[in-house]
Amino acid sequence: MRTHRLLAAAGAIALVGSVVSGAIAADYPSKPITMIVPWKPGGTTETMGQVLSKALTKNLGVKVLVKTRPGGGGAVGSTVLANSKPDGYTIEFVGISTLTWIPMTQKAVKYKTSDFTFVAGVSQYQMSLVGTPGKPYSTFKELIAHSKANPGINVADMGGMSKAFVNFIAKQEKVDWTAIPTRGGGEMVPFLLGGKVDFAFSGGVHQKYGEKMIVLASFLSNRLPLAPNAPSTQEMYGVAMPGDNGIVAPKGLPADIRAKLEAAVKVSIDDPDFTKILERIKFPKRFLSSKEFDQVVADTLVSLNKVAKATGYIK
Amino acid sequence: MELEMLQHLGAGFEAAFTLTNMLFICGGVTLGIIFGVTPGMGSVTALAILVPITFYMSPLAAIAFLVGINKGGTSGGAIPAILINTPGTPEAAATALDGYPLTQQGKPLKAMKTALYSSVCGDTFSDCMLILLAAPFAAVALTFGPPEFTSIIIFSFTLIAALAGKSLIKGIMAAVVGVFLSSWGLDPVDGSARLTFDMVELFDGVPLTPMAIGTLALSSVIAQIFALKKSGEGAKVDTSLDKSDSFREDNKLPPREFWGNWKTLLRSACIGTGVGMLPGLGVSLAAFLGYGAAKRGSKTPELFGTGTIEGIQATEASNSAVVGSNLIPTIALGIPGNVAAALLIGAFMIHGVVPGPLMMIEHGALVYSIFASMLMANLVHLVIGRIGITIWVKFVQIPKKIILPVVTVFCFLGVYIPSNSMFDVALLLIFGAIGYVMRKSGFSIVCLVIGFLLGPMLEMALRQTMLMHKTDLTILVTRPISLVFLLLTAFFIWHFGFRGRIGKKEPAKEAEQAGD
Repeated sequence: MRTHRLLAAAGAIALVGSVVSGAIAADYPSKPITMIVPWKPGGTTETMGQVLSKALTKNLGVKVLVKTRPGGGGAVGSTVLANSKPDGYTIEFVGISTLTWIPMTQKAVKYKTSDFTFVAGVSQYQMSLVGTPGKPYSTFKELIAHSKANPGINVADMGGMSKAFVNFIAKQEKVDWTAIPTRGGGEMVPFLLGGKVDFAFSGGVHQKYGEKMIVLASFLSNRLPLAPNAPSTQEMYGVAMPGDNGIVAPKGLPADIRAKLEAAVKVSIDDPDFTKILERIKFPKRFLSSKEFDQVVADTLVSLNKVAKATGYIK
Repeated sequence: MELEMLQHLGAGFEAAFTLTNMLFICGGVTLGIIFGVTPGMGSVTALAILVPITFYMSPLAAIAFLVGINKGGTSGGAIPAILINTPGTPEAAATALDGYPLTQQGKPLKAMKTALYSSVCGDTFSDCMLILLAAPFAAVALTFGPPEFTSIIIFSFTLIAALAGKSLIKGIMAAVVGVFLSSWGLDPVDGSARLTFDMVELFDGVPLTPMAIGTLALSSVIAQIFALKKSGEGAKVDTSLDKSDSFREDNKLPPREFWGNWKTLLRSACIGTGVGMLPGLGVSLAAFLGYGAAKRGSKTPELFGTGTIEGIQATEASNSAVVGSNLIPTIALGIPGNVAAALLIGAFMIHGVVPGPLMMIEHGALVYSIFASMLMANLVHLVIGRIGITIWVKFVQIPKKIILPVVTVFCFLGVYIPSNSMFDVALLLIFGAIGYVMRKSGFSIVCLVIGFLLGPMLEMALRQTMLMHKTDLTILVTRPISLVFLLLTAFFIWHFGFRGRIGKKEPAKEAEQAGD
């Protein structure tokens, strides 16, 4: 009898204690969360965002609503996020190139990388340099040797950052490449397979073509999971493209809310539906904790600064 | 080759024959007919304001829905033309010539049935041509490089400017303004900002949705509101149908009478298909060419205009035959055949499908499912069109003061919902005003919209050509296909610019309105 009463009292005290100490975090989330996706409905990132929002809804216990704000390579939606309250009720699912390369090179963009709290990484775009079989080069090294003997060969880029990186490599290796602009994978693929360009930048579309395309190098800080023999630009030149995407909030997000969101993302990316969609679009999962995400962004800024300066995008 | 095509088509039917897809096709055809029947609307308005809805559908359902609208809209326009001598859509203008006399003779149902059956015949013929020709055309186009595309786009510009408006000069001016508007935003080669006024909203250039809805749909509403204010609603039209036995007898359409003119049907279907394949030529031009050819080829040309069903067959088979074949250049080259196809390209892009030679390879299964859906839509069109024939009549009577506000609301919703942006709504208003001024001053909105779509393609193809061939533009005349299109361009400019224009009287006034 006595022990029972004691136990009950202890239980009550523990309950009250936990409620008091966790008051702020326990409140969150208490109303629907808006998740901005800065791309048009229907694209890869938006599809990922839609499925992720459903998994987050399950794990946070409140509705996570996707709001698409397309425009400016993600800059429009990110501007909206930078101007919202850091209360955890407005978050964004975005690729970090939008928050790093764009404010660095476009002076009209009103936000800086420091205007955001990086919550958790989700996945990684597979940016790489690709060629086709039957060319005199099948590795990056051979490509450079071939380029030195044949100045002026054509490489397809997709504008902006990809062009800067292609030019950066050419400068480092002292080779002469002509960068041909293309509007994304839909145009790059026929150019490459039709032999109109010699090799190309790919944002990940090459994965659909299996043997028809060869990865020559990874533009990321790591080698691509599906092409472990191709070197990364990080190993060769100490620079890498920002390939990660994830959940971001405005700066000043309270630490406990950040931790809650981070935990929810960690569980959500193993959701069966989300796993299925990543398998379909062939993007690898890459969870980054808040701490790791901050580090990736910091490294990215150093890399991008180096590339942008060397290629004349910034002075 | 043929066998393979049939297999693909079979798989396409399998994928397309789902309840959801059927519902979207039925919904599309019904909405299309309603928009076609409703005075002042038409399939382009319907497509412009309904494309944003398809953001939320699967690619197949989206395209099947939009193709259904286009099919229904093109034939629905015939109904008011027949009943009250006021074509619901410009392409049905020639239908009124023989349809209205039939109504006066107490045979409105007969005329409407003829129009519907002819539409479905022309449409089916055209869809078959699309299915047969798309793959081989795309295979040829796959060998084209930037120089060929540069010449083809220049050629398309000339055709559109020459044929879509009242005057070549005004057409070219409108197209140039369209190209100019499309050049805003970040430069595709080096990413520098062009005319963005330091607004991130303009980094991707002027968005297509508010531009298309504003110039094509909203401006038409504004124009009709002003017209309404000036002239009033007009007398209420009586379109109630008689129920007597003699009426029923008069309105029968014996198969022998319909199929007796199979030559006219086939001729018109061929004309419509041919017109649809060339970029820039409107649906209305096809209608008048079909009517004209039937009259010349008829043994009794004096009956045309007095209420012969042959006249309706000639027009409706021809204008509906444009709908399928204008997807040939869209799928094979990524170049829109007309405004409706341009809006469809926009819808494809939303779903990550880039129209062009690679589409058959990349999204072959989707393309064949779309083909299957188009054939299914024809059947649906026949059934719904026939069952609803007494219902469509009611839509002719809806006063404009009710229709116009409803359409205005849809214009705003279509722009705001997918973008969540008041900036886009402001653009909608600006483009509505621009479109109204263009309508009043005789500048072709069709040229503006197509110029806007083709502008970036031309810039990209030309700059790629220059980079790939180290600024040596002689490549444009040393490549045979490129040279052929440049010579054609020169010929057309000489032909239209200096020698006066073919088909000056009829197609000119129609096509101007093709944006309605």
